[in-house]
Amino acid sequence: MKNWPWAILAPALLFVLIGLFAPWIMTHDPASQDYSALLKGPSGAHWLGTDYLGRDMFSRIIGGARTSLVAMAFVLVAALAIGVVIGSFAGYVGGKTELVLISVIDIALALPSLVIALALMGVFSGENFSWMSDYWKMIVALTLAWWANYARMSRAVVVAELQQPYIEAARVMGASHIWIFTRHILPHVLGLVVVYASADAGALVLAIATLSFLGLGVAPPTPEWGQMLVDGMSYIEENPALVIIPGLALTAVVVSFNLLGEAFALQKVPRAVRGRFLARKKAARAAEDAARKEVEA
Amino acid sequence: MQRMFMRRVGLALLLMLAATALTFWLVTAAPGNVAALIAERAAGAGADGEMIAKIADDLGLNDPLPVRYARWLGDALTGDFGVSLRTGKPMAEEFAERIPMTLALLAGGGVLALVLSLAMGIAGAASNGGIVDRVLHGLALVGASTPNFFVAAMLVIVFSVWLGMVPTFGVAGLTSWLLPWITIALFPASVLARVVRVNLQDTMSRPFATTGFAKGLTRSAVLLREALPNIAIPYMTTFGAQFTLMIIGAIVVERVFGLNGVGAFFIEAIRFRDFIGMQAILTLFVVFFVSINLLVDVLAMLADPRLRRPRKA
Repeated sequence: MKNWPWAILAPALLFVLIGLFAPWIMTHDPASQDYSALLKGPSGAHWLGTDYLGRDMFSRIIGGARTSLVAMAFVLVAALAIGVVIGSFAGYVGGKTELVLISVIDIALALPSLVIALALMGVFSGENFSWMSDYWKMIVALTLAWWANYARMSRAVVVAELQQPYIEAARVMGASHIWIFTRHILPHVLGLVVVYASADAGALVLAIATLSFLGLGVAPPTPEWGQMLVDGMSYIEENPALVIIPGLALTAVVVSFNLLGEAFALQKVPRAVRGRFLARKKAARAAEDAARKEVEA
Repeated sequence: MQRMFMRRVGLALLLMLAATALTFWLVTAAPGNVAALIAERAAGAGADGEMIAKIADDLGLNDPLPVRYARWLGDALTGDFGVSLRTGKPMAEEFAERIPMTLALLAGGGVLALVLSLAMGIAGAASNGGIVDRVLHGLALVGASTPNFFVAAMLVIVFSVWLGMVPTFGVAGLTSWLLPWITIALFPASVLARVVRVNLQDTMSRPFATTGFAKGLTRSAVLLREALPNIAIPYMTTFGAQFTLMIIGAIVVERVFGLNGVGAFFIEAIRFRDFIGMQAILTLFVVFFVSINLLVDVLAMLADPRLRRPRKA
């Protein structure tokens, strides 16, 4: 990672920081309405103007960053945990259990994640689920729609790693399954999956915004970019900034995570993500060789 | 080849069956009491327990789930997807009205994505590190990161509000199709352009390309005649994946431009808790998805003999 372009982390990091410190950055309460200042342009009091209810756009954009960040973090962590557990269990145990779990994963991947999330939002609208708030419905729906990718990836890593001679050596030495899995296999799985997840975060931010745009995600008055954008569509002739500002914020965040993904791609990680582990192994071996040479020199 | 082919088709059918069974279970388990929902829609607040029980009995809602799925499947195979709880029309009728709209969206968007991505990818590879390449790279990155609803909104702002060239809502003539097509094509075109660019570069460094140069061929001849056919398989695979993802684009676009397609119906079904409509649309999506993936696999098998051999575990 020595030559890795660390600067590329900056935009994504900025988003995370804005999300974390949003309450201190906001100049107004994002939900407070001011009927004396409707649809105003930028001014000293309202840096990015106000929306159709006189709410401060700047504070709503900042608040939206927090909403996206929190929802994204919940979904990523939960989906990653579920995916890694199911995927690596399937890969490690093998046999019929693996076959069943792979089938489940394949079924879950038979539709695009966002369509599954939409369908689940529909399912959750039933009276059986009225105990969940809309916000949590969205998080659960996205998690259930998102885990399968991580599961497939984890399984592939486990299967590839199990074929390595050192695993057999560990087994011969009497290492237990738990030991082998936690000490030798899990670090490989997590290494790859976490890298993929950091690049995947952009897609998730997009999914959250799309759900809200379609009226099936974060409900008002919580500020959220997709929902701000769809609200602004009604005032597109009076003040297109209501649409353009949240759109630009969203695009900027997705671009920054995609840049991150591309930087990883140049390190040849996605080859491994796509299931071609040879490239990764070669790279790892080359790195090992280089390290050895350094030590020798 | 034939055995591999039959195997793929069989797997695809199994996948469709399993996926529809899962959605059926989820969607029917969710609403709590469909009968109460139907009675409420039919008789307003006047729905009493007796009426609800009768509806449940008539629809066979008291039967065990596998029986209900088998009955639903039998009906679905004969083209009967039930009656929408929201519009009160048979789903088969809704399909007949709405599928052409969505297909037109997908087809137009698909063609546009194909043309754009090949043009951008080849231009980028031809310029190879030059200014054109870098600009196209940046464009592709932004194109793959811009939410499609924002693209749609910007197109409306620029062409309808500022320039007044196209009507904001509905479809009238070819020009009004352009904005939805551009919206839906931008994301897949950007992703595919990257695929073309990266794979062309990869291929150009392979020995046969060097041989081409050694024979005295020009760079464009090597690029177009020797390298381009070699990216067919990664391109096809990604195109298939992106084409199926365009369903999401269609859902968004139909909503923004007020088009009466399948995607708009899906969202309305979710919001109005039309579980019969939801199940029908999800079935349609599963069939579309699995078929496109199957088609891509078969095309790849036809194009590359190596893929026809059974995979080793």
